[in-house]
Amino acid sequence: MNLERLPNEEKLSLCRKYYLGGFAFLPFLWLVNVVWFFKEAFVKPVYSEQLQIKTYVKRSALGLLLWVTVLTTWITIFQHYRAEWGEVGDYLSFTIPLGIP
Amino acid sequence: MNASDSDEDSYNERTALVPAEAPALPSYTPAPDPDPPNQTTAKRPAASRQAGPVAGDSGSGGHGDSAGSSGRGSDQDADADEEELTLKYGAKHVIMLFIPVTLCMVVVVATIKSVSFYSEKTDQQLIYTPFTENTASVGRRLLNSVLNTIIMISVIVVMTVFLVVLYKYRCYKFIHGWLILSSLMLLFWFSFMYLGEVFKTYNVAVDYPTVAVVIWNFGGVGMICIHWKGPLALQQAYLILISALMALVFIKYLPEWSAWVILGAISVYDLVAVLSPKGPLRMLVETAQERNEPIFPALIYSSAMMWTVGMASPADAQRSGHETDEEAEQSGRGAEPESRQPRPFTDSELEEDRGVKLGLGDFIFYSVLVGKAAATGGDWNTTLACFVAILIGLCLTLLLLAIFKKALPALPISITFGLVFYFSTDFLVQPFMDNLAANQFYI
Repeated sequence: MNLERLPNEEKLSLCRKYYLGGFAFLPFLWLVNVVWFFKEAFVKPVYSEQLQIKTYVKRSALGLLLWVTVLTTWITIFQHYRAEWGEVGDYLSFTIPLGIP
Repeated sequence: MNASDSDEDSYNERTALVPAEAPALPSYTPAPDPDPPNQTTAKRPAASRQAGPVAGDSGSGGHGDSAGSSGRGSDQDADADEEELTLKYGAKHVIMLFIPVTLCMVVVVATIKSVSFYSEKTDQQLIYTPFTENTASVGRRLLNSVLNTIIMISVIVVMTVFLVVLYKYRCYKFIHGWLILSSLMLLFWFSFMYLGEVFKTYNVAVDYPTVAVVIWNFGGVGMICIHWKGPLALQQAYLILISALMALVFIKYLPEWSAWVILGAISVYDLVAVLSPKGPLRMLVETAQERNEPIFPALIYSSAMMWTVGMASPADAQRSGHETDEEAEQSGRGAEPESRQPRPFTDSELEEDRGVKLGLGDFIFYSVLVGKAAATGGDWNTTLACFVAILIGLCLTLLLLAIFKKALPALPISITFGLVFYFSTDFLVQPFMDNLAANQFYI
């Protein structure tokens, strides 16, 4: 899929769909949106739909940042306190490391 | 965990994909094409197996400019130009395919070498290889592996034929559904298993919520990229990853000798299915060409995006690309040049977006060969030798593609070289090198 070849309305529609899709717990989709449409939104010369695409890219970036913060915080907390939580920690764990910490 | 069921399903779908693809497309270069041969056939890189319907269109494979100028130039000039262009494109395509094939193999070998799960021998086998290899005598073991191969190949043949029949009778919804189910299984279930094994190997604690988010994102974006629209690089990356995952499953669950015999048998099947007139893959490609539809874009690795000015929309190309897994696999197995057909009236927008297509099944089996060499071969010598052999085979196949300009099976040459190199390195070169090193004799 080459963005160059698409007409502007389709670019906007694609950007919007990626933005909306990210709300389904898909921050990766937002990341793809930001990276893919970055050039379109900020580097290319102005065209009519560009403003809307810019909004979507900015909002996707914001949502992505939020998710990254939440995930990082949760992972840090989990890694730090997992052993202390005892049973709950084990219940939450997908893999439990072997050996003595 | 009972791996058989899940493996079976994915196996069904994957084998369908894997079987040789791309039957030779005789009509790849449109025979009755009214355009002067200079502009059409010559320009088109022959390397593609999947002579997609687009490829089948006339259209100068080569640059729009060249087409124009060659049309005007003398025949001899045009011929020379075409030859050059064909070879130049052929070389470019070889490079364009080296990278994904190498990446896939690197992922598989890295996993095999680090995560012991995939090289541990287990008694669990796929339902397609019911005969065990833990037998007392060598003869019995050989017999069992041959029987396993026969069963596996028949399954593949049956699924391929089924797929072609479905395609012929336009049961697109069924095919579509099958394809989606298959990629769902790969993207979610297998990657979940893979992630679990990697974490266990590195002894890290991971919690369920994090894993859920990671797998959901990976799978969700994968489905969107592969089956709908997404950046080309990401789609290629996902295709490489799912091929690697599938290859890892094969490496783990196929018994030793059966794996080698199956590799050999499937190359032969590929050859037959693609080149013989009644071969299912050939019929598939021809049907797709007649209907002017691309073949299973979802299951073929394409190195450049097809964009035909005049095509209804990119969505069409991708929608029709979702042919059944089998087809995808099969088509995946062929190498196919993709060429854009510039429309005569849009000269200013002529784009040569030549790409080459290689079926995912080819990726899978190449990786199975190299992975098996890494898992059970001596040391890195064997692995590297197989890797080089496969790349050489790929080069030769693409060269033949440039010469014949028909859909060609990508498996036979590479797998043959790979097998030869594996066995000779393991049994001849390896001990030789070891002895030399042990005796400090440098040559």
